[in-house]
Amino acid sequence: MTSAVTIPRHGGTGGRTAVAARARQVVKAYGSGETRVVALDHVDVDIARGEFTAIMGPSGSGKSTLMHCLAGLDTVTSGQIHLDETEITGLKDKKLTRLRRDRIGFIFQAFNLLPTLNALENITLPMDIAGRKPDRAWLDRVVETVGLAGRLKHRPTQLSGGQQQRVAVARALAARPEIIFGDEPTGNLDSRAGAEVLGFLRRSVDELGQTIVMVTHDPVAASYADRVLYLADGRIVDEMRQPTADQVLDRMKDFDARGRTS
Amino acid sequence: MTVLKTSLRNFLAHKGRMALSAVAVLLSVAFVCGTLVFTDTMNTTFDKLFQATSSDVTVSAKGSSDTGETTSRTGRPPTVPASVVGRVRGAEGVRSAEGTVFSTSVTVVDAGKDKLSPSSGAPTIVGSWNHNDARTMKITSGTAPKGPGQVMVDADTADKHHLRLGDEIGVITALGTHHARVSGIAAFRVTNPGTAIFYLDTATAQRTLVGRSGVYTNVNVTAARGVSDARLKKNVTAALGHGYKVQTAKEVADANQKSVESFLDVMKYAMLGFAGIAFLVGIFLIINTFSMLVAQRTREIGLMRAIGSSRRQVNRSVLIEALLLGVLGSVLGVGAGIGIAVGLMKLMGQIGMHLSTSDLTVAWTTPALGLLLGVVVTVLAAYLPARRAGRISPMAALRDAGTPADAKAGIVRAVIGLLLTGAGGWSLYVATEADKATTGSGWLGLGVVLTLIGFVVIGPLLAGLLVRVLAAVILRVFGPVGRMAERNALRNPRRTGATGAALMIGLALVACLSVVGSSMVASATDQLDKTVGTDFIIQGDQEYKMIDQQMVRKIKDTPGLARVTEYKLLDASLTTPDGHVSTSETINAADPTYARDVRTKTVAGNLADAYRPGSMSVFEGFADRHGIKLGSTVAVDFKDGGTARLTVRAITSDEAVVDKGAMYVAISTAAKSVPAGHMPLDQLVFATAEDGRQAAAYKALKSTLSADPALTVRDQTDYKKALKDQIGQLLNMIYGLLALAIIVAVLGVVNTLALSVVERTREIGLMRAIGLSRRQLRRMIRLESVVIAVFGALLGLGLGMGWGATAQKLLALEGLNVLDIPWPTIIAVFIGSAFVGLFAALVPAFRAGRMNVLNAIATE
Repeated sequence: MTSAVTIPRHGGTGGRTAVAARARQVVKAYGSGETRVVALDHVDVDIARGEFTAIMGPSGSGKSTLMHCLAGLDTVTSGQIHLDETEITGLKDKKLTRLRRDRIGFIFQAFNLLPTLNALENITLPMDIAGRKPDRAWLDRVVETVGLAGRLKHRPTQLSGGQQQRVAVARALAARPEIIFGDEPTGNLDSRAGAEVLGFLRRSVDELGQTIVMVTHDPVAASYADRVLYLADGRIVDEMRQPTADQVLDRMKDFDARGRTS
Repeated sequence: MTVLKTSLRNFLAHKGRMALSAVAVLLSVAFVCGTLVFTDTMNTTFDKLFQATSSDVTVSAKGSSDTGETTSRTGRPPTVPASVVGRVRGAEGVRSAEGTVFSTSVTVVDAGKDKLSPSSGAPTIVGSWNHNDARTMKITSGTAPKGPGQVMVDADTADKHHLRLGDEIGVITALGTHHARVSGIAAFRVTNPGTAIFYLDTATAQRTLVGRSGVYTNVNVTAARGVSDARLKKNVTAALGHGYKVQTAKEVADANQKSVESFLDVMKYAMLGFAGIAFLVGIFLIINTFSMLVAQRTREIGLMRAIGSSRRQVNRSVLIEALLLGVLGSVLGVGAGIGIAVGLMKLMGQIGMHLSTSDLTVAWTTPALGLLLGVVVTVLAAYLPARRAGRISPMAALRDAGTPADAKAGIVRAVIGLLLTGAGGWSLYVATEADKATTGSGWLGLGVVLTLIGFVVIGPLLAGLLVRVLAAVILRVFGPVGRMAERNALRNPRRTGATGAALMIGLALVACLSVVGSSMVASATDQLDKTVGTDFIIQGDQEYKMIDQQMVRKIKDTPGLARVTEYKLLDASLTTPDGHVSTSETINAADPTYARDVRTKTVAGNLADAYRPGSMSVFEGFADRHGIKLGSTVAVDFKDGGTARLTVRAITSDEAVVDKGAMYVAISTAAKSVPAGHMPLDQLVFATAEDGRQAAAYKALKSTLSADPALTVRDQTDYKKALKDQIGQLLNMIYGLLALAIIVAVLGVVNTLALSVVERTREIGLMRAIGLSRRQLRRMIRLESVVIAVFGALLGLGLGMGWGATAQKLLALEGLNVLDIPWPTIIAVFIGSAFVGLFAALVPAFRAGRMNVLNAIATE
């Protein structure tokens, strides 16, 4: 299987540019004329390589849309998005699919796994689809890291919610993507299971040099990140480095208050 | 009322998903209604035709048929003397009487010696132009025939064969060939039933058809004003005495109608049978649709239960949806059925029968039956899913129902299925061991039904097994996409089982019939090889086409032949030693050389002795029934002659395909009792070439027979081929009718896939998000479809071949002693089913590929 894009052999920076993904003047609008709704309004953002970025914002702020656009799941109305050196805006479905398959990992809020495949098969699915052989040693390490060694032959229905999300994390990590996108990956979990999953994500950044972007509205989840971006009305309105849960919560309250008075 | 409202809303919300089920109901109902309307219309048409064409009262010879058909084994129709006309005229209440001459024992050829006969198998009639026919025919060009050199042709035949005024035609009868030129063309005022009709003037018709003047085949009598047909019949009978057959128009029409009806009935019930199979297959489709709709709505139904709907209400709401579906499908089906009937009528026009749409007969029972069938079948099929819907607990509303839980095939199902299949297999085994075909066929029928139901019941289990095997054989090649297709096909074995079972039914019948058909060909070929000791078989192209004496003479004069054997059929009634009188038996009269031409096995005596003077043979079954032994005397009362007391010298075996149930006498023996004028013409003539001159003799015979295109000579190879073609044609017709059931089954596969795709929207979205390409996705769905179709085909072919082999074993008692499995057909069906799978996946795969990834992820 040949690939139009280069496959990074390591999750780390590896001497590449410091920016894993960047958006320039990205506009995403639905409808036209009077019914036109702008979800993203000239957004500029750089996702630093090897960093854990959280995107926060109230419902309808455009945070999910931004993530979908960055991940090549959705198209933009105008502006450019680059993944490393590749411009992904304007790519056709075929190339986008291949890009997602080879260079991006996903963790969704729910329904992350195919019910017909067991845990291991789910983990290796992106590589199977691509026709690539998984790196055995790496796979073992990932499985070890997320603590699934004893449950690889289980079907998703035989796993708890937390275990399922850990399988999803393992799947995202296994293919060594340049960047992993998480859409509220802990939204359906209780706090303990959530903390576990977030811990793995944090460790994958610290120990494996993985780049992660996560959409969340949970201040505790955001506190695991290196950097928090705040979105409101389709614009990036603020950002915070090395956040704690309390700081994030305070900032959110600020926005809420401002939103109500304006 | 709320129940109705929710049902209606659900129905409309899922109209796309209901569409294929509606089509299945529509097709089955349409086929039923189409058949009924078509056969009713045919009946109306023929009724009108027979009423219109018969004269008030017809007088004919005592021995002629009730339908007025003038076919005869002697090649000359029975006649009445011309004096009858005068005596009839003298009867009270007669306005006019006219003698006519008609014969269907004719072949008409054009100048190029091509037959001018209908291709539909309808008769060719030559007769005298008369006042009665002048009522139903209109001369469109030229004039009525006058004098020996003129003939008038019906317009349809003229059209079809491009005959124009002045063209020469030849009328071939037992008396020779008569040449005439077309003087006129006449069109039917009523529906042309497909016959080709040629008119001569009365004197020419007499000379050509019956060989003498002063006789008629029929006398048409017209009643004076105010005299009823019944009255007229009585008067005419009084005037003529009882030596004649006197029939009113209604009697002739009824007799004709009866013969047509019995043919139409066979057709009607055969077609209804196939419609029934389609219905059966449709049931699977409907069950699957509703099962899937209920499964997809589990949360919704749970919510309704949580807020207080009773089980019955949920149950009923599903049934009302089914009712709506049934009504919609049936109403459309009734309409489509009338369309099918009109289409069939047009098709009949192609083969020469011009049916008028103004005769289109839609009895009120037809739409009523169609609606009833469609609705009842649909509601019954939806009953199980509806009950399952009623059982959904209110808790389902709270559960996170991603995809419905996998339905596991239960142990109870396995036990019941295996028991049924086992019982069916045992019945089939008993059938093969039966020593009488009648008892065996009962076991065969039971075995077929039980194994079919058994297979349907254990279908889900077999699905699990066979899909894994198939996956190991084919799917592995396709890597992870193949694996996911396998898992998807296995995820709900009940659904895969039911979808495959629907396909199984049609294909099982195809396989069974192909095995029986090809065994028939193989057995007959085998028997021909073993028994036939002659080179050439000469016969007419239709059952009533005889070989006249002139032709037999010419055949005998053909160079290169070692011997020629004549073979006739005579009607007779037999009085056996047990005192029993068997009427309407057929005696096979042949030259003694026939014993060498066809070596029929005997159970007692030597067949050659049966051809000695005053001797005969009977067949095993007849001998057993009537206590006949070698040396017994049987009184044979020939229909057209006297009675002969013949000694039984041989008893033939019933294990025969060729000439099964024949009773032989020598032609010379029969000739002692049957006067020359009444002796039937030859049904068959067998010719054997001198050693080493086969090829030349075959060529010579062909050229001898070219004088009458209605006769054919075949050597053994060609005869076998003709036999094979004949059976092949019959099978093709049946396959054509089974296609309906197979189409419905394919709709079922499409439906299952389409609903699965909807059900797996989120999964598909997820797979697309993590990098499954559209092509891979489509391939995955195609593979799943192929696996389901091939699974159905495997079951069907296996089951059908089992049935076919059993039927062959059973029919071995009737001479079907060679089992021949037509592997090319079986393999073609198998491969075809894979393509059917690909085809069925077209639309679902396309739709899955087009799904928006984001919407798919976001779907609740």
